[in-house]
Amino acid sequence: MTSRALSTDVLLGLLPIALLIALWQGLVSFELAPVALLPPPGLVFSRLLQQLVTFSFQQEIIATLFRLFTGFLIAVALGVGVGMVAAASPAINATVRPLVRVLAPLPKVALYPALLLLLGFGHESKIALVAADALFPILLSTYYGASTVEQKLIWSAMAAGTPRREILLKVVLPAAMPSILTGCRIGLVISCIVVFLAEMITSTDGLGHVLITAARTFQAVDMFVPLITISLLGLILNALLQAARSYLLRGFPEA
Amino acid sequence: MKVLPSRSSEVATPGPARQPATAMIEIDHVSQVFQTSARKDHLALSDISLTIEDGAFVSILGPSGCGKSTLLYIVGGFVSPTSGSAKVKGKTITAPGPDRGPVFQEFALFPWKTVLGNVMYGPRQQGVRATEAEAQSRALIEMVGLKGYENFFPKELSGGMKQRVALARTLAYHPEVLLMDEPFGALDAHTRTRLQNDLLNIWERDRKTVLFVTHSVDEAVFLSDKVVMMSRSPGRIRQVIDIDLPRPRRRTELLLDPRYQKYVVDIERMFDDIDEAGVNP
Repeated sequence: MTSRALSTDVLLGLLPIALLIALWQGLVSFELAPVALLPPPGLVFSRLLQQLVTFSFQQEIIATLFRLFTGFLIAVALGVGVGMVAAASPAINATVRPLVRVLAPLPKVALYPALLLLLGFGHESKIALVAADALFPILLSTYYGASTVEQKLIWSAMAAGTPRREILLKVVLPAAMPSILTGCRIGLVISCIVVFLAEMITSTDGLGHVLITAARTFQAVDMFVPLITISLLGLILNALLQAARSYLLRGFPEA
Repeated sequence: MKVLPSRSSEVATPGPARQPATAMIEIDHVSQVFQTSARKDHLALSDISLTIEDGAFVSILGPSGCGKSTLLYIVGGFVSPTSGSAKVKGKTITAPGPDRGPVFQEFALFPWKTVLGNVMYGPRQQGVRATEAEAQSRALIEMVGLKGYENFFPKELSGGMKQRVALARTLAYHPEVLLMDEPFGALDAHTRTRLQNDLLNIWERDRKTVLFVTHSVDEAVFLSDKVVMMSRSPGRIRQVIDIDLPRPRRRTELLLDPRYQKYVVDIERMFDDIDEAGVNP
């Protein structure tokens, strides 16, 4: 894609966001919603800039990001690991498959009260919830990718002298990478949602906690600030993952 | 001039009249049954016996679905035969090994590796040091006519170029036998002709044993010392034809050569017979 086409795409992508903010401003300007409950976007963004430089708000962001990353990375390690092994071994697949079928459709947030009791109010319970929710899309797409690797790639590597036990790492993993990274992308979005949700339900810090505290004291501006923050964080993280994906998949036709 | 010696598949081992060349591949009463569904079995190969001498260029020719690729996979060690055995240099084949290098119709290049990375893969697996493997691989890439494309990814190359890379990748680990599974089947006629010429030129240098699967009669005659004709369902060897044409072969000369023409016409007639007598029309 040329840089010119890319910038057109970026402009087109910004358009609906600009419209959304205009709609928001319109609702406030035409007094369709009381300013006390729906503050104008200008006020929210200036408040956000004010907050971003304060140490306490940075601490909240760091807490949220730490949980998000740790949970997501655990999900990646477990999902890719189990997915690969299940694709390689019919016996392990037969063992794992029923468990995945039972656990995948379960709303993981229902586990949160139990996780709180087991792991406490700190990082651990949130990390566990993020990992549990991000795990399944990564596991399933890894399994799918690893079990549909072209047989002749594996044969080519074996003929070149790669021992059977190394095929998984040297051929199946890189060949399944497009599918794995698609799973990771879905898992990352889920991680953003779930970490915020967990912090809203029960927490002593983090962006979700900031939002719920502000809401309970009717501080509308402060309520919108963490919301915008998590959106921006999601945008940045997705862009980073996309950059990593473009690099890792630079040889693949579909990338 | 006896163009088509009437040797049937039963004559598996070379008779006493043949020159005492050493056997590279011995296929001994190989049959292959595939389970197509829970109740149905499909006999893909039926009692195949064939000996391929060291340094011979042998084509396996047959209609699609005659099991010719399966036979190649058995020699590659990718598929184990239901009964019978295949040997390479007297040792029974149980697994793939670097003594037998495959080249597939689908190229099967590693998409995450560059041209150089693909070609270096084999030598690196064989424990060759990186600098040495790179030097060897660059020389091979030049030999197959792709100098300047070392850092390209396979997706950036045309079909013919991809197959050149695949050939270089296989040659890089010095297999004694090349197993070519309709390698030029996915290419256009012009590219196909060029690759056939280049393959012969490369083969003339070190005369590796080549087992070449194809369904193209003129390709088989042009390239081979021996053409193994198969019939389908179940796959059997119908006839083994020695191609007694001088080497090095030049395509333009051969096309005018009546001996070449007679081989092609005779084999095509046999193909028609197979079709008429065929179980599957």
